[in-house]
Amino acid sequence: MDNNLSENSKKPTLANALISQAELDIEKYSVFSKALTERPSLSIRTKIILTFSLFFALCAIITLWSIVALSEIEDKINFLETADNYLSEIHQARRFEKNYLLYRTNVNDALEHLSNAEKILSEKGKTIEKILGEKHFKTVVLQVKDYDNVLNKLSKTRDAAIISNIEPTLRENGSKMVSFAEDFVKKERDSIARMLSLSRKVPFFFLGVLMALMIFVAILLTRQLIVTLNRFVEYANRIGEGDFSPITPVRKFKDEFTQLAKAFNSMTRELDNRHKILVESHKLRAIGTLVAGIAHELNNPLNNTMLTASMLKEDFSILSEEEKLSMIDDIISETERSRGIVRNLLDFARESEANLNSLQVQEIIDDSIKLVSNQIKLAKIRLETDYAKDLPHIHGDEQMLKQVFVNLILNAIDALPQKGSIFISVQKNKEEEGYITVEVKDNGPGIPEHILPQIFDPFFTTKTKGKGTGLGLSVCRGIVRKLGGYIRVKSSVGSGTVFTVLLPTTNIPSEISSGKKEH
Amino acid sequence: MENRQLRIMVIDDEQIVGKRLKSALEKTGDIIETFEDGVKALERLNNHPFDIVVTDIRMDEIDGIEILEKVLAKSNQTKVIMITGYATVEMAREALAKGAFDFIAKPFKPNDLRAIIDKAAKELRKN
Repeated sequence: MDNNLSENSKKPTLANALISQAELDIEKYSVFSKALTERPSLSIRTKIILTFSLFFALCAIITLWSIVALSEIEDKINFLETADNYLSEIHQARRFEKNYLLYRTNVNDALEHLSNAEKILSEKGKTIEKILGEKHFKTVVLQVKDYDNVLNKLSKTRDAAIISNIEPTLRENGSKMVSFAEDFVKKERDSIARMLSLSRKVPFFFLGVLMALMIFVAILLTRQLIVTLNRFVEYANRIGEGDFSPITPVRKFKDEFTQLAKAFNSMTRELDNRHKILVESHKLRAIGTLVAGIAHELNNPLNNTMLTASMLKEDFSILSEEEKLSMIDDIISETERSRGIVRNLLDFARESEANLNSLQVQEIIDDSIKLVSNQIKLAKIRLETDYAKDLPHIHGDEQMLKQVFVNLILNAIDALPQKGSIFISVQKNKEEEGYITVEVKDNGPGIPEHILPQIFDPFFTTKTKGKGTGLGLSVCRGIVRKLGGYIRVKSSVGSGTVFTVLLPTTNIPSEISSGKKEH
Repeated sequence: MENRQLRIMVIDDEQIVGKRLKSALEKTGDIIETFEDGVKALERLNNHPFDIVVTDIRMDEIDGIEILEKVLAKSNQTKVIMITGYATVEMAREALAKGAFDFIAKPFKPNDLRAIIDKAAKELRKN
């Protein structure tokens, strides 16, 4: 009861209701916008920069490798040149060594060539050492020295016995020295060939890897973009259908789309406010229609009261006490009847913010039927209802739901010829758990298939100019979507139209609903 | 005979209307019969002629316009007065075009109706 007192003393007006609702909404939306922005940032720009940096790094690595490989090949070529010179010198030395051993000539020539070889070793030592490594270089130097020593020894003697004694050592050292060097030259030639062929292959391999990587990254990036874009298409469709719930964060990171989501949220907030005004103004139109019927209906009890009061006054002196009392009772009961007629309309017309409650949908439909009962009588339409037993409560707003059903029934009345009929049924939904189904069926002319998809669009109307705003069904859908339900239509020309409203059920028991209608 | 008794029928699906108009109109000495059901009223009209029929336009089974047509088809002497809760010009025009004597809009006072009935009675006496 306190609730009602404060409600009455506050006198909620349309403006007040909208402002307080807007304040609530700003709070609600700011929570979501906070949730959207409070994620770590990974923008699309960062992703693109990271990707391009990765590609650049890969290119840099391969370029560096090429430079290193080229300089290594250069070193090896330099080495080979030196090695060739060295080899030819020691080959010469050995040839003269053979000559000496055969004809005892030219030992000095051999020594000279050997000293040339030694000179090459000492001059180009660095180049050679770089390729051979310290150990092998020392071996080479030692081999040359050994050979040199033996050759020197040989040059200083003429004694055949000594010569033949030295000869095997000399031959052995010489061939060791030559074969070691030849071995190395061969190895290095092979190594250069290998490196050259590798240098030919690596760029192609690298191109392949780069291409695969680029394709992978491109697919990854575009898929992310497309998935997100598709989600926004879904949001837009949802908003178009009148569901103005804000966008909540889906991904772990925020990016440029977060800005878009925020813009969407502020847009839906605006749309939501406008929709509220639209719902209210549409309600005013519905009230206008209902008032005509109600004014007509009010004339009956008013007429009864006037006739009774007039006759009571006229015959006051001749009427018996009993007759007077009965006439006064008539006046009272007819006044009560008037109040009943007006009250239902007032309940419907009262401006108030959305008030979600646990409701019995049958009562709401009965009240809606009462509101339109005069339109039904005037159009001579038969209206039947069929409510399933033990229906669960639904979660919704009483006034908004009345607006939906009044609108659906008024639409049916407009569509029906005289003596048509409307059938309203309420059932638990068999396909979807947690919903109840309200069907408003008429046996009117039906809606042509080509305009069926448009009937929920705002400003779409088949009525003559000035008779309909084309907002009724759009507002209905907006209300039903807002309450978490669905509205569908099935119609075919000649066999009538069925509007199906699915409303979510609730387990919360109805609260203070009994005291609600007391004023 | 100047003041011969008139036979007046009142048809309205509101029970109180019949009850009050019966006592109000009987004062002039006329014979008043009231009906809430248009079908029964028409049956009665078939057996008994009435001078004046006062009928509500909007009723469930048969509406006032239909009663008007049936009454006039039987006797075009009968004066039919329409009661309308919907005093729109079209409704009145339709009723008058179809031969109604006059119409009266709800809510009305007994004297308003008496005045129209007086007028109808004068017309009747002229003939």
